[in-house]
Amino acid sequence: MSPLPIASLLLWGTIAGLDLASLLQGLFNRPLVTGAVAGVIIGDPGAGLRIGAALELFALDVLPVGASRYPDYGAATVAAVALGAWQPWAAALGPAVLLGLLLAQLGGVTVVAHRRINAWALRRLAPELDRGDPGVANQLHLFGLGTDLLRSALLAGFGLGTVLLLFRSPRFDLSTGQALTVVAVTGGFVALISGALRRAGTARRIAWLAGGILLGVLGLAAL
Amino acid sequence: MIPRFRALLRLSSLQASYTYERMQGVGIAVAEEPLLEPLRSEPERERAARSRSAQYFNAHPFLAGAAVGALARAELDGQPAERILRLRTALSGPLGALGDQLFWAGIVPAAMGLALIAVSRGAGIGVVALVVLGYNVLRVLVTWWGLRIGLAHGLQVAHAISASRLPAFAARAGGIAALIVGAAIPWVGAWLLRGTGQPVRATVLVIAGAFVLGLLTLRRPLSAPALTLGAAVLTLLWRWSSA
Repeated sequence: MSPLPIASLLLWGTIAGLDLASLLQGLFNRPLVTGAVAGVIIGDPGAGLRIGAALELFALDVLPVGASRYPDYGAATVAAVALGAWQPWAAALGPAVLLGLLLAQLGGVTVVAHRRINAWALRRLAPELDRGDPGVANQLHLFGLGTDLLRSALLAGFGLGTVLLLFRSPRFDLSTGQALTVVAVTGGFVALISGALRRAGTARRIAWLAGGILLGVLGLAAL
Repeated sequence: MIPRFRALLRLSSLQASYTYERMQGVGIAVAEEPLLEPLRSEPERERAARSRSAQYFNAHPFLAGAAVGALARAELDGQPAERILRLRTALSGPLGALGDQLFWAGIVPAAMGLALIAVSRGAGIGVVALVVLGYNVLRVLVTWWGLRIGLAHGLQVAHAISASRLPAFAARAGGIAALIVGAAIPWVGAWLLRGTGQPVRATVLVIAGAFVLGLLTLRRPLSAPALTLGAAVLTLLWRWSSA
């Protein structure tokens, strides 16, 4: 295994974290995208795509609506790819995805904390803001951007630190790794399917979903 | 730089100062600021407009441009304060619902579903890059369109959006996304489980099991990550006890 390019992964994890809500929201936080780039950085693009795809199944269940609490898959996916790269993937996929899931939930907690820090800053400057003093809104906004940058960087650092610690601990044997892979992929499909059914809502959309599955099965059988 | 381009640029970080109290309020104020520059010669009006612009607001971030444009137009036209605040409240819900339906329940799952199918068929990172590029072009175009339509129609922006093709497209986006995500399920399952010994049988079992669990958790949604982590712990205990 080649040594991890920590600085590049840290930078990418931070960018992906910012993309979750504060900046752009341009799909850079989606596990498939984050994982693909992390795989390229590490030099194992295949692992990046597979681990990213498995975590994407979970992410597709998430609706990042308004004040709802949602996980942050950016730094989590970077750490998951760092853990699972350069290994027999049938056994490495499961442990990597499980680490990604844990870190994504932790990321969700940090998003809430960031919003509370923003609220603290807002309360301090609310009189000036409500008076219409110039520059106050910009000041609060830059503060929010800066603290989210810090949040994302800390989360990416924590994830990569966890991976470095796990590298020092004994690995799972092949069959345990494979069993965990089946568990992780099944969990991903539970998330995807229950999310799709919940979101579909109407019978018409469920029919679209069923039609899609049928198309996929036919396509798979044809090739 | 032209004020509306500056507003567009600032809209890309709309949620950086998000709070549970005012939600996107501060972000809206930051994006609206360049559009209020014509009020510089009237400091009192400018101050009052700035004060209003940072109040509570929450909508879909990509469609918030319509609100920013409409609110700025209303301020420049000298509309009464209560009408501007009413517009702010009136736009929040519909722009949120429309954007959620169009992007979060439509375009995003469709884009990621397409990328998943392509990747499972052996396409590399190029396809992922193409999806990201296409999505971002679309997202910027929608925000730009919203900003323009808001600036052009002011208080009448809701009617202008209703008369556009966007609501009809948003209504169809969910069905298209469901079709694409559905097609991705068998492809991705077969791809991810290749290497586990019996890929076809494993894929069928995993997808069937996931369907049953998905249906069981439909009415009382359990967190899939929690379910997965719990199952992983049980698997490790089982492996440990049989070692």
